[in-house]
Amino acid sequence: MNWLSPSLALMFQEASRTSTALESIKHPDLSKFLVIAAILFIIGVAGVLTRRNLLVIFMSIELILNAANLNFIAFSRYLQDTGRGDVMSGQIFTVFIIVVAAAEAAIGLGIVIALYRNRETIWVDEIDLMKW
Amino acid sequence: MILSGWESVFFWIFSIAAILAGLLTVMARNAVHSALFLISSLVSVAALFILLGAEFIAGVQILVYVGGVMVLFLFVIMLVNVGAEEEGRAPIFNRPAQVTAALVFLALLAGILVIYAIPKGYQALQKRDESAMQQTSAKRAAEQANMPAAATGVSRLSSQTQTVGTALYTAGALPFEIASILLLVAIIGSVMLARTLKQEVAADDVDPEVLNEMKQS
Repeated sequence: MNWLSPSLALMFQEASRTSTALESIKHPDLSKFLVIAAILFIIGVAGVLTRRNLLVIFMSIELILNAANLNFIAFSRYLQDTGRGDVMSGQIFTVFIIVVAAAEAAIGLGIVIALYRNRETIWVDEIDLMKW
Repeated sequence: MILSGWESVFFWIFSIAAILAGLLTVMARNAVHSALFLISSLVSVAALFILLGAEFIAGVQILVYVGGVMVLFLFVIMLVNVGAEEEGRAPIFNRPAQVTAALVFLALLAGILVIYAIPKGYQALQKRDESAMQQTSAKRAAEQANMPAAATGVSRLSSQTQTVGTALYTAGALPFEIASILLLVAIIGSVMLARTLKQEVAADDVDPEVLNEMKQS
């Protein structure tokens, strides 16, 4: 078993060197939430830019708004922990974002139905009446 | 703000679920599948809200988004059939060259945000707020010890919802009223947009010229 000890020592050395990264994975903080929100936002933007189905574009917009909500809530928690600033304003903003998203979805889906009734399509490539 | 123990396990589960479901929302060929994946993404984000201590917002998210908006989406998807896309006859994405360019720039944005900007900014924030965080964490621990225990006895009841309600009706009273008017406008607007020409004629507020054209055709 003697040959094992140098490799074990090396392993422990490696483990101690990567402990900060491991520690941050074990204990997620504000920056992790911001990263998740950024990734969700970017997925939503990719959906808006690349899809051609109007309904899926609307769903991608909901994804973007939700990423913004996650940012607001994460910073609200951070401000609660530091005791700085108006600690509740993040959550209040999130309530209003959800209200605006609901109104936007209602109007947008009304437009989709009116559009489908007139043009028989909801593909954004085919809706080019005002394009020149 | 640091999550530890089971909190961090739940954080990783729900954040990975949210991202995967979001990806599948954008990539699914069938719009109904997209909507269902979006619902699971929204539920996962609601779980993240609970982890962050915003129980009221998580409840609102599930009630309004999942219970209201997404059901509306599903109704509209079923009214508007998108057969060609589902059967695989048509490509679901736009022109490939533009899509590649968009995705390359999005990847650059994501890389800079995730690898550089957010960690650097957070380090700076942490350096600024370190002492304040230590002070308030002691204060919060004392406050939490005074809160009533939940039915399971494991955790403490939170007064977060009460705080949100108080702030909503004091500091946010004017925006709250404006939001109610916004919702009223949205109701009227969507009813106006979605009605047919026949319904407009029945309501007797259609332009006479349009009415004549309709009779001629």
